[in-house]
Amino acid sequence: MHIQELILRLQRFWADRGCLIGQPYDLEKGAGTMNPLTFFGALGVKPWNVAYVEPSRRPADGRYGENPFRVYKHLQFQVLLKPSPAKVQDLYIESLEALGIDFSKHDLRFEEDNWESPSLGAWGVGWQVVLDGMEISQFTYFQQVGGLDCRPVSAELTYGIERICMFLGGYDNIFDLVHGEVKTDDGVFPVTYGQMRQREEFELSAYSFEHADIDLHRTLFDAFEKEGWRLLKDHGHFLSAYEQALKMSHTFNVLDARGAVSTTERPGIIKRVRDLASACARAYLEHEEGKTPTAESAEKNGAAAAKGGAK
Amino acid sequence: MSGTKTFLLELHCEEIPARFLKPLSEEFSPSFSAWAKNQGLPVTALEFFFSPRKLCWRGALSAAQPNQIETQVGPPQRMCVDEAGQPTIQGQKFAEKWGVDFDQVRFEQPAGKKEPCAVVTITKQGRPTVDLLAEALPDLIESLHVPKAMRWGKSDFEFVRPIRNILCLFGDQVVPLTVDGVTAKNTTWGHRLYHREHPAPVKVATPEAYETALEAAGVVASVAVRKSRIAEQLDQLAAEVGGRVVADGSLLDTLAEIVEFPKIVRGDFPASFLELPKEVLVTSLREHQKSFCIEGPDGALLPCFLTAANRPDDPAGFVKAGNEWVLKARLYDARFFFAEDRKLALSVRMEKLQALTFQRELGSYYDKTGRVVAITKALATRLSDDDEHINRAMEAARMAKCDLRTLMVGEFPELQGIMGGEYLKHEGAHEEVWMAVKEHYRPVGAEDAIPSTPMGCLLSLCDKLDTVAGCFAVGLIPSGSKDPLALRRAGQGIVRILWERGWAFTPGDLISTALRVVGDKATKSAPESTEALLAFFRDRVAYQLEVAGYAGSVRRSALATGWEDLADLKARCEALSAFADDPRFASLAQSAKRIGNILKDEAPGQAFDAAVMQDATEKALADRLKALEASPNQVALLAALADLAEPLEAFFGAVMVKCEEPTLRAARLNLLHRLRQAFLRVADFSQWQ
Repeated sequence: MHIQELILRLQRFWADRGCLIGQPYDLEKGAGTMNPLTFFGALGVKPWNVAYVEPSRRPADGRYGENPFRVYKHLQFQVLLKPSPAKVQDLYIESLEALGIDFSKHDLRFEEDNWESPSLGAWGVGWQVVLDGMEISQFTYFQQVGGLDCRPVSAELTYGIERICMFLGGYDNIFDLVHGEVKTDDGVFPVTYGQMRQREEFELSAYSFEHADIDLHRTLFDAFEKEGWRLLKDHGHFLSAYEQALKMSHTFNVLDARGAVSTTERPGIIKRVRDLASACARAYLEHEEGKTPTAESAEKNGAAAAKGGAK
Repeated sequence: MSGTKTFLLELHCEEIPARFLKPLSEEFSPSFSAWAKNQGLPVTALEFFFSPRKLCWRGALSAAQPNQIETQVGPPQRMCVDEAGQPTIQGQKFAEKWGVDFDQVRFEQPAGKKEPCAVVTITKQGRPTVDLLAEALPDLIESLHVPKAMRWGKSDFEFVRPIRNILCLFGDQVVPLTVDGVTAKNTTWGHRLYHREHPAPVKVATPEAYETALEAAGVVASVAVRKSRIAEQLDQLAAEVGGRVVADGSLLDTLAEIVEFPKIVRGDFPASFLELPKEVLVTSLREHQKSFCIEGPDGALLPCFLTAANRPDDPAGFVKAGNEWVLKARLYDARFFFAEDRKLALSVRMEKLQALTFQRELGSYYDKTGRVVAITKALATRLSDDDEHINRAMEAARMAKCDLRTLMVGEFPELQGIMGGEYLKHEGAHEEVWMAVKEHYRPVGAEDAIPSTPMGCLLSLCDKLDTVAGCFAVGLIPSGSKDPLALRRAGQGIVRILWERGWAFTPGDLISTALRVVGDKATKSAPESTEALLAFFRDRVAYQLEVAGYAGSVRRSALATGWEDLADLKARCEALSAFADDPRFASLAQSAKRIGNILKDEAPGQAFDAAVMQDATEKALADRLKALEASPNQVALLAALADLAEPLEAFFGAVMVKCEEPTLRAARLNLLHRLRQAFLRVADFSQWQ
């Protein structure tokens, strides 16, 4: 199956089951969870179903476009369902059937794999979903995001798009995958993943492992952090501040791939990202509660107004 | 009294992590039994089943609770009845409390009371067991201790994974209970894939029908049955390609825990991957794919693997093909690490060890390496006077930790040491050096062997010694169940190496060498650390004697006369064990105790005059002393001692040691003193029993 066909089928499937179809967020990030549609969507009480594709960058996984299985950037298909439905596992299995997987002939297992993102202050419990011995998805019940308890709990499904395509097509090399076909007056031209991405893999791997300026990235990390806190503290802007946290996270990943982060330094750096992301999560929730007036929030607003008046 | 019925509770959940299945199953059983016993409903034949999606318990209980007759004691008689013999308000209240008329209240003096009190006997009507179960089970389920609990959906209920169905029967009756909105039924769900074709739930008519009903729906309820089916298939599939399975008990357990209906599939991988070290292949297959390797008659791996599928068959070959595909990707990665790591000499990683903390006070692995090299130098020079040999031992010590900075060990931490050895071998290092590095973490547990070469043993010993002595020197001493740095295991490794190698280092030697090397990093004084370390090693040695299988009497009496010279201790234990069942030793032990008591407040000397002795029994003893003192080894000595049992008994029977006559008394005391010294060369027999 072509990559684009797989994406289209998943989007159709989840749209038919009551999901908004979202779009990738236009900043570098390591996982689809970091998209604000999930990060903020998993917080608070309002019902929220969303699905989208997210290109995910893992600088340390770069292999210069030479490894047939591992890449710097891959595509995740991300689904968030809040609250988690009782039949969420069945829904997930049906989505695989929609991709043409016939379970009378395949082996499917849910093996424990608890997800944690220390830089987002987020964790959940769940599984890696294993089809015929291959991990094709990550399945997580979010327990906390941004250091805050998730109530209700969301279920997050993450499909590894390239992996599933390779697996279904029996490809031995990711770059041989066909993304789709270009049809012109002159004929039909299949376009491979390699044609679209191999050079990019080479350059971005070289950048992450060799060319990235370490001092610049250290400076950037500090600057993004300062900017984020300024936006949050001075203006109460949690969305633009959260973008700064995402930039910090990616900058850290580049430094890490460059071998510039020592083991002792690492937890401290991750904590700086987490602190900003968690503060954004708290500000978001306060903002959301303010929008739907409750007895408590009205009181709180009253108190805040009184404080403001006294200034 | 009605008969018993069988009870069954099954919690059908989303996939429960394998590691929690057995602990949760085991935890529920005693708490359920305790509850039942408390209700007067003893449980018999309680058993449990588990599979990835099921926790299930089954046992027999009485159909109804027996009536319970209880005696309730109230206030003293004088407060319940007034002078006119009429009930007081307090008396009436007591009767009311227990629902009886006042004339049913008796006045008796119960045990422990000083005066007669109001007493009523009431009969509590036994309730149907099914009602009691329905009331109690939700709490019992909720109070299961779940190490990593989760919430789901909108509820605040916490459990290991979402509960999606409850099957609960008492006989053929459903126990009406509800947990977090899930109400018990007489149906459950079989294998997930079975239900893609059969949408209806599986009915379980009675608890006894549980396994059969599930098997028909694609679930083998018993983990033991799953395990034996897996083992059988593994052996058969390995034999088909002329090999045998590389045994791994914990992997077998895991496979039985992660499938509901096991089918073992054999796949192939490209033979070119066999260029990777065997340990890398075995580890990669186990960690990434939960797969077994197959080895040929010569121990070399075959390009095949065995893994478990969670279904009865592989009709289209997809399971085989899929696993082969993934494995190839994994091995590709392993080969990438292996090639990448070898682009630089292992020694290049030495500098990078500075950034890897070993322990806060003791510094980095670079610092540790320096200490291990110093200890190795000190000990190697005592084992050998060949400079080249000593230099090689120090080279091995320098290289030992470098592989912690390689990609392969980053990916598979359990390959530490092994990869260092492999990389050094590829670099053309001396066999002694790479073998020593490769095996220096051994023994990794009680089941594991010590390193196969003397240099490997030396390196392992020095590394562990630095860890143990270093930690003690900064106050990190294991206590009770707390031993986060596994110092006891390291200490045991040291003792085992000394024990099996027969090296003459005493713990005292080793401790002082290691503490000198720790130097000013120590936060405790050297005498304080030494004392703690000696006690620590004595315990390790005592444990070693136990592991070696010596009887308690042998261990106690041998240890009591010295433990630091392990070779000597071992020889004494061996010799003692040969006599352990000899009845003469029981008598000897009695006599030894007696000698100990007699000499307790005396200051006997060495010399005695045999001529002053009068009794035949003491002369006989004196005659034997020479032979005893001259016996060349422990076995001969023990044989001589065994022969001494009877004469000693005779001596104590005939002679009063502390007689009035001073010369005779001194001679007798000195004789006993010399005898005891001879005993103590091998053991303190007063500790024999």
